[in-house]
Amino acid sequence: MNTRELLSRFHAVASDPRGQMKKYLEAGERVVLTAPVYTPEELVHAMGLVPMGAWGADMPLEGAKEYFPAFICSVMQSILELGMKGVYDGASAIVIPSLCDSLKCLGQNWKYAVPAIPFIPMTYPQNRWGRVGTGFTRAGYERVIADLERATGAKFDPAGLAESIKVYNAHNAAMRRLDEALAVHAEIGAAQRSDLFKSAFFMKKEEHTAWVEELLAALEGEEPGAPKIKVMTTGILCDSPALLDIFDDLGLHIAADDVAAQSRQYRTDCAETGDPLDALAEKFAAMGCCSVLYDPDKKRPRTVVEQAKARGAKGVVVALTKFCDPEEFDVPFIKRECQAAGLPVALVEIDRQMVNFEQARTLLETFRDVLE
Amino acid sequence: MAEEIKKPRTPPDPSSAKYKLSKIAADAYKDAVAAKARGEKVAWVSSNFPVEIPETMGIATVYPENQAAGIAARGAGARMCEEAETDGYSNDICAYARISLAYAKLKSCPEQDVAMPDVLLCCSNICSCMIKWYENLSRELNVPLIMLDIPFNPDDEVSEAQAAYVKGQFLEAVRRLEEITGKKWSDERFQEVMSNSCRTSRAWLAATAMARYTPSPFNGFDLLNHMAVMVTARGKPEAAEAMETLLKEYQENVETGKSTFRTEEKYRIMFEGIACWPWLRVTSAGLKSRGVNMVTTIYADAFGFDYDSFDGMIRAYCKVPNAINLETARDKRVKLCRDNGVEGLLVHTNRSCKLWSGFMPEMSRQIGAACHIPVVSFDGDQADPRNFSEAQYDTRVQGLTEIMDSRKGGESV
Repeated sequence: MNTRELLSRFHAVASDPRGQMKKYLEAGERVVLTAPVYTPEELVHAMGLVPMGAWGADMPLEGAKEYFPAFICSVMQSILELGMKGVYDGASAIVIPSLCDSLKCLGQNWKYAVPAIPFIPMTYPQNRWGRVGTGFTRAGYERVIADLERATGAKFDPAGLAESIKVYNAHNAAMRRLDEALAVHAEIGAAQRSDLFKSAFFMKKEEHTAWVEELLAALEGEEPGAPKIKVMTTGILCDSPALLDIFDDLGLHIAADDVAAQSRQYRTDCAETGDPLDALAEKFAAMGCCSVLYDPDKKRPRTVVEQAKARGAKGVVVALTKFCDPEEFDVPFIKRECQAAGLPVALVEIDRQMVNFEQARTLLETFRDVLE
Repeated sequence: MAEEIKKPRTPPDPSSAKYKLSKIAADAYKDAVAAKARGEKVAWVSSNFPVEIPETMGIATVYPENQAAGIAARGAGARMCEEAETDGYSNDICAYARISLAYAKLKSCPEQDVAMPDVLLCCSNICSCMIKWYENLSRELNVPLIMLDIPFNPDDEVSEAQAAYVKGQFLEAVRRLEEITGKKWSDERFQEVMSNSCRTSRAWLAATAMARYTPSPFNGFDLLNHMAVMVTARGKPEAAEAMETLLKEYQENVETGKSTFRTEEKYRIMFEGIACWPWLRVTSAGLKSRGVNMVTTIYADAFGFDYDSFDGMIRAYCKVPNAINLETARDKRVKLCRDNGVEGLLVHTNRSCKLWSGFMPEMSRQIGAACHIPVVSFDGDQADPRNFSEAQYDTRVQGLTEIMDSRKGGESV
């Protein structure tokens, strides 16, 4: 397959998660939904279940409004809406972590709005370091395992987890290499780039890794396209095709990202030695630079600047999910750090009910002019 | 036009609970200023951080949530929120946080000045938003942050793992505070503080439970004011004494048929959520004018920290209202409604508080069904006056009153 065909394959999965889920279910697999921002997918995978990311969808809200007030982010609202509409039917359970206030509410509402799909809470510590923190993370994992066993009948085995950790580390490495390649290949558009990350949530990681490796091999043999204006994106999500088309129209090339649904997922590997559950807890302790993870030294804004500089980005686009307060608290610091480093910032407020992107286009046009 | 003749205000009786409680709240601010002037370290503390720690160690405290509520009640909420917004903070962020971050920058607000902090004590059992707020304060003010993480508990009981996690952090918090302030933890002093805290809590629970009598011996809006002492000073003996005075006054009111709700009590409701501090008078008058007394709120239960050991204290802080699952939260409210003869539920959908409001529609439906009472909600905000509509509030309260009235047979309105 050539690069274009390979990209189409990723697009087909990214744009049809329900079709992908149906395929797994028809093959006799059991699917477990995993909500943002970080869920211990390795546990689900180790138990022979298929983890499927549930990050909501661009759609109008109806039933979810009976549960959430309007000022809860559209990611949570649309996850619930999809559940209520039966789009997740056939899933054996949903794992929802407690990493922000809206996620806590999603879990509580889910029990009543979508009673057919069991809710499994993953309670993470925010003081995640040291024996006290990792001990609590481990207890959270053990609870998820027990609930998964109850919901699916599948059994947990530490040796299986050790194998799954290797699968996830290999995927992390492939995604990091892909991210580096995409920084060079300006001909791959913003929406295509998004497909590569988004599809990872809807496929078994070993399958996704194999596809990514194929794409990397194809790209290695190709001359990168003409350079465009390099920018970096930061935020929770940046997957709206209408928004991403604007990047392409304006000749903006996403050369790096600090997006929770994209590169933030793949920064941290898990040790492949020792007790695998402890290793997984240590992995969570090692994660950081994310708005939903306690960041006492407020490192994230600095790392955004460092990453942008390292990739030669001329500016930073903050894709701010409306009503996401963890991100909103970080925005003033990101702006300040970027401005101090001479990096222009464009703040685009987005949500999953957005249909008119003209304001975003005007803003990004001005931003492009500034960068030029 | 005739000139309005104002009645001279009766000076408060120094032996009254109201006087004592107001004095404790006001003294807390003065004590922190005095401590700072003496060169001692001052802590800014989030509301459900275990007061036992700073109280045992003799550390002067300021509670930014109380400060923000005071600033909002005195009319400066919008000004301070806008100040934070000019620095890039979204107007979607909790208004207490916006006011506090604006204060951290300005270091002045005539509506409620406070001593600036040398250390920050944050506890996440009230919300995750608190972590971000204090992260930012720490960075802006360049002062150390001690963050005690007490996660939202999806289960009915506090697990051994959670208790161990919180206990481990508690001990680390004490160690770091000793290092930062030079003050020492004393087990003996802790026993005293624990005893005071439980004594205060028992009196508070008993006083708020007096609403079971009809008419209630108090106007529920009183609780919103007295709550400040429960938040900040429950470990002090004077707080216990003041709460016991409050209980005695309510008992006397029951015996003499008096009440601080100074009109006929036609309807008894539960108010859900934080007060709309900028609109306190409006929200109170909208109820009182219709003879609606807010006889209870979850605050009646929220600060009932009654425990008898260190481990018991740890578990008590894991069970505060915003850290518990829908079912436990619902059952607490159902009990309050049943114990206090509540006839309707008025829900404040608080724009500032995602956690409190995020599963409130479902929970309030369940409370309404369990107690057979009508439920009405209104949109508001704890400190940003721009998020409240007087007309909507009035219409909703009128609707609630009409439903309650029709259930009584329609004779009251």
